[in-house]
Amino acid sequence: MKANPKDVNTGVYYIDGDVSSGYGALAAGCKFVGGYPITPSTEAFEAVCRRGPLVGAMFIQMEDELGSIASVVGASWAGVKSMTITSGPGFSLMMETIGFGAMLETPFVLLNIQRGGPSTGVPTKTGQADMMQSRWGSHGDYELIAISPDSPQEMFDYTIKAFNLAERYRCPVMIMSDECVGHMTEKVVIPLADEIEVEPRRFYDGPINEYLPFKPDEDLVPPMVKAGDGYKLYITGLIHDERGYSIKNEEYKSIYTKRLVDKIRLNKDKIIELKEEETDDAEVVIVSYGISSRVAVRGIEKAREKGIKVGSLRLVTVWPFPDEKIAELAKTIKAFVVPEINYGQIAFEVERCSHGEANVILVPHGGAGVHNPDDICDAIEYAAKEKKRIEGVIEYKTKLEKLVFEEGYKLHE
Amino acid sequence: MNPIITAFSKGIEKSGIKPSKVSVPSDIPFGSEVVNHLGVDFFHTIRGRAIPFGTGLKLGNPALKVVPFVGDLMTLGGNHFVHAGRRNMELLVICVNNFVYRKIGGQPTPSTPVTFSPYSTFEEPFNIPHLGNSCGAVYTARWTALHTDELANSIAEALNKQGLSVIEVISPGPNYYTKIEDIESNLINFYYENSVIKNGEDPKNARITPEEKIVVGKFTDKERPTFIDSYNAQLSKVLGDKFTPYGGKNG
Repeated sequence: MKANPKDVNTGVYYIDGDVSSGYGALAAGCKFVGGYPITPSTEAFEAVCRRGPLVGAMFIQMEDELGSIASVVGASWAGVKSMTITSGPGFSLMMETIGFGAMLETPFVLLNIQRGGPSTGVPTKTGQADMMQSRWGSHGDYELIAISPDSPQEMFDYTIKAFNLAERYRCPVMIMSDECVGHMTEKVVIPLADEIEVEPRRFYDGPINEYLPFKPDEDLVPPMVKAGDGYKLYITGLIHDERGYSIKNEEYKSIYTKRLVDKIRLNKDKIIELKEEETDDAEVVIVSYGISSRVAVRGIEKAREKGIKVGSLRLVTVWPFPDEKIAELAKTIKAFVVPEINYGQIAFEVERCSHGEANVILVPHGGAGVHNPDDICDAIEYAAKEKKRIEGVIEYKTKLEKLVFEEGYKLHE
Repeated sequence: MNPIITAFSKGIEKSGIKPSKVSVPSDIPFGSEVVNHLGVDFFHTIRGRAIPFGTGLKLGNPALKVVPFVGDLMTLGGNHFVHAGRRNMELLVICVNNFVYRKIGGQPTPSTPVTFSPYSTFEEPFNIPHLGNSCGAVYTARWTALHTDELANSIAEALNKQGLSVIEVISPGPNYYTKIEDIESNLINFYYENSVIKNGEDPKNARITPEEKIVVGKFTDKERPTFIDSYNAQLSKVLGDKFTPYGGKNG
């Protein structure tokens, strides 16, 4: 299905990633945004609040993030595409309801413009340390989808994709962007509506009395209905059967949880999007996502100037994780280099999937800034030279890290 | 069936609203048979979030009548309640007050009157209709579970009010699973017999204490622009023809 021309502000813009994502949401047909302002995501919320009313989208500034995400799950069950926008502390507050959304198989999009943490951290500067939280943050077993754009243009394109995936797989989808991409201002081309593919909600169309809200189709995704249409919905966050009625049976608990997880895992090939460059004869492959993939471009260039064969695997989709792709590359290369703005999250996933066949070098960064491309280049050089197979994740000492260690963790002017 | 559910059922019927248009977000599970009997849509949400979930339902489809049935209203949901009043969100909040966390083991709540627990509680409880009224609710009432007719009338009235309505129901237990015979019938009668109807009373005078009779009745019935009314008015003023009012007259 094509986007509704009314929802799309076709044109060429010079805007930041936050605003671009807001425009993407409306172009995807989002009609409800519940949010609570938090740096550095406010521009996205402001963009939808400003433009939303012109295209029939309702916004509400809730009293807190607990409320904003609950309102989004509610609005989705009322039948409209919904979204919330947040960062760091707000993301933490939302965790319980993210699990609730996954349990109720509710489509919605969560835009997280990551900032420096933990706690209040560095609100105005960047970070990539919420990646594992986006995967495991709520209690219990569930799977969801996370995407990591690296430019304002991608913030538009992948916000639409996030809505499409949420509707397609009836699950929460997270856009795990960061302050740097969110506040980066670049040219953004918003295409004509008929060039934008949007996924409509998969509504049930059978007889009213035969509807079972959690009876999956062959792809393990159940079709949905909305409140107010006479289905006498019984929807609960308790483990439930196909009718939605709660059930405590051990066997059923396993069957239900397994479907919740397999709905994403077994459809992985259709969900995952990767951008792969020059990996064919590479000896080192950079695995990166979000802003770190932008920074890595220069590091890769420099390493190539030195004659090192470097490939790049960019995780546009971070969750579900491309296990098989990493395993396959591990067999042909010497090492992976993983630059990320944290002290090791995705690097450990890469190590898990490489099954000991390649070294994994983490180029860490504490946040509030991005990597120096020289550090990435140096790590590539080290990776290419190292002949030994080293167990675990090797934490590469960047110039900043070396300084920290020489000074013995002392902080002063 | 539980007398509160009976009153709810009668209230919906009296209000003239189709049950299929009624959505009930709650933080306590109804029995599935109750939902089938009532013909409403039911959402067992998470603790304290029935009001914001209901806010999303209402704004997602303004034609719905959304009735949060809540237990943890004054704790986890306290902030949501206060803000629903401030913005006059179109919800009918039915708070079943049994004075304890019954299923968890009988701990005191913020609506437990002083002296109710083993060593006696010492914290001042909330007076729910008073709090609702102070925050801007357009309709507040309190009944005990055995005031079935009065409660049904209140529910019917409140369903046709525009804005936040709050009805507190004093009940011995949140037990929607069991039959009326199984609920402590002595206690339900005790509350009923120890109540006094004072319609139109200022809810600040309706504090519940162990010494005095429970003041019940309809306390607040006023008009105020709702959230959607204010949203439409403000955006129409600023955007003129570029803005299409949201939801239409009924929502």
